[in-house]
Amino acid sequence: MSRLLAVEDHLIRMQRDLQRALEGDPEKVKWSMVIDLGKCIGCHACTVACVAENKLPPGVVYRPVLEEEIGTYPHVRRRFVPRPCLQCQNPPCVKVCPVTATYKNRQGVTVMDYKRCIGCRYCLVACPYAARTSDFGEWYTNGTPDQPEKSLLGRSVCADGYERQPAAEYKTRWPARGKGSPIGNARKCHFCLHRLEVGMLPACVTTCIGRATFFGNRRDPDSLIAELAASPRIFVLKPELTTRPAVYYLK
Amino acid sequence: MKYKYFLPLLIVALLGLGVGAFGLVDRLLHGLNPTALGSYIPWGLWVALYLFFLGLSAGAFLVTLMTYLLGMKQFEHIGPLSAFVVLVALICEVQFILLDLGQLHRAFYQFFLTPSFTSLLTWMFVLFNAMLVIYALKTYLLIRGDLIRWADEHRHNLLGRVYGLLALGKSGYDESQRQRDRRWVSVLAKISLPVGLLFYGTNGAFFAILLARPVWNSAMTPLLFIVAALLSGGALIAFLTYVFRQKDPINPDGVCVEDKLCLDLGRIILFLLVVFLALEAMQFSVGYTTGIEAVVTSLNLIVMGPNWWVFWIVHLLIGSFIPLALLVFRSRDVKSVALACFLIFITFAAVRVNFVLPDLAVYKLEGLEETFYHPRLRTEYVPNLNEWLVSIWVFSTGLIVFLLGTRFLPILNQWNGGEVHEA
Repeated sequence: MSRLLAVEDHLIRMQRDLQRALEGDPEKVKWSMVIDLGKCIGCHACTVACVAENKLPPGVVYRPVLEEEIGTYPHVRRRFVPRPCLQCQNPPCVKVCPVTATYKNRQGVTVMDYKRCIGCRYCLVACPYAARTSDFGEWYTNGTPDQPEKSLLGRSVCADGYERQPAAEYKTRWPARGKGSPIGNARKCHFCLHRLEVGMLPACVTTCIGRATFFGNRRDPDSLIAELAASPRIFVLKPELTTRPAVYYLK
Repeated sequence: MKYKYFLPLLIVALLGLGVGAFGLVDRLLHGLNPTALGSYIPWGLWVALYLFFLGLSAGAFLVTLMTYLLGMKQFEHIGPLSAFVVLVALICEVQFILLDLGQLHRAFYQFFLTPSFTSLLTWMFVLFNAMLVIYALKTYLLIRGDLIRWADEHRHNLLGRVYGLLALGKSGYDESQRQRDRRWVSVLAKISLPVGLLFYGTNGAFFAILLARPVWNSAMTPLLFIVAALLSGGALIAFLTYVFRQKDPINPDGVCVEDKLCLDLGRIILFLLVVFLALEAMQFSVGYTTGIEAVVTSLNLIVMGPNWWVFWIVHLLIGSFIPLALLVFRSRDVKSVALACFLIFITFAAVRVNFVLPDLAVYKLEGLEETFYHPRLRTEYVPNLNEWLVSIWVFSTGLIVFLLGTRFLPILNQWNGGEVHEA
């Protein structure tokens, strides 16, 4: 009877890689993600974790999992492609923003400045991966019955208890969700920068039950991400557009 | 100038304002939430109508081109009218684009605080304001003489005081001042040539630079925009020239100066229409021949999608082939030319809708349509009541400004040397 060797969970190694990156020179850090399509089982846990982490309202999604059918009957199979923002190194969305509300930070993450965005949605149109969504001010509790004040149930209480509370995006204390930003703004995946700053991996990485999502500093040759990026199985989405994504896929 | 359509049109415009106000208030209170827009079709009716008015604003630009570049001095007659039409079109344009912004208020200061000059939207902002200043000044200089004279004539009533204010308190306007104003108009017209070309071209380039949008991503798009603008704007000016013609009191059945202008404009419109249709045919033939799936899908949406009739019936039949036939076979009949021009400019909104929507209405990644379902994440888009109401509001503001301007300002009277003044 064979016995499996004890293998360190990838999360432990990525956590170590992350600590090393945070302790080193921030100028030498370039965050990257590798997604192993062979391991993704299409459970959508990453999508849900992202929605919860960033308190995304209805109609806003940072990391959907695309489902592709490959081949022709009877030789068909399904492939799941999680699609966060690809954090392009040559991002079309940054160039088109008229008010520099979106830009690349020093670690190569394309971020949004919610206080600058005018909501023109030019970046949404420019993104070849449809990785940006606009916050149209939707509420999960819309259309649900309300109760008188100080009740334990009802629309207002439920909204106050969850969706009115702002997320910690960009490590900023945003006002309660109402009429101001980020409603009316473009929104996108930011590699959970607020988590990275406190030494935590992005929510989608830690919740991936198949360990299909890897994250780290691609400039660090000892990191798992750098190891995976050298794989012959590596590819990027739409390479012909020369956007040079920092999110890689393993076939 | 008094004209018979003034009151009925004013009532229509006021009703439009009243009805449209419901949509406008909803839009201002709830942001973009009341619209049918989504993240995969983030631009819709309002951007299409912005482009429609953008085209109409090119009328004076066309007149400028003909007068100062081609030396066709007879078009100087319609200078004030065409410059004023540009102003009205720009007013409508800016409303549509402002109301389309998710954070409307930031447009008023963010462009000054943190502009990005790699973005063509910033350049559109700069060029839009340049056009606004040029045409506001041009309109003012063209009507200044009459304003001063009217202020003197009506010194004792309210209207006279308004004219006095508009004339900046000046009285007396002699030939030397008129010559000086004309020289400035000529300078402004010459400046407006490169500015206008850049403005209309930039609006095309705004779409053309987007790698992810295969139908728009063509060097031909800016050229198509310039021709489209000249065609629709020119058609509007030709139509208005006919509508506001002043018959010769001695020979009312004879051909008046405006009729001649309308016929001359008709010939230019015919040329522009043929060029535009040729460019459009090239766009389709190149797209289909290349065979790229996203391009073919977008083009198929235009020609055989659920709104096929917008392309075949509204744009091609009513907006192109009927006007083409009228402009070719009835080129000496001023009524036919005016009708052709009316059909061209009124159906041009269809061209704009067919430009904006189909490229957006194709999923950019396989599987997007199957995952994370939400109405804001679909490629089906039909403008909803709120978008139509806001559009009615904007159209009505444009109509009111146009009606009041042509009624109470010397926009049209100048054609007869400012003599027919019935304020």
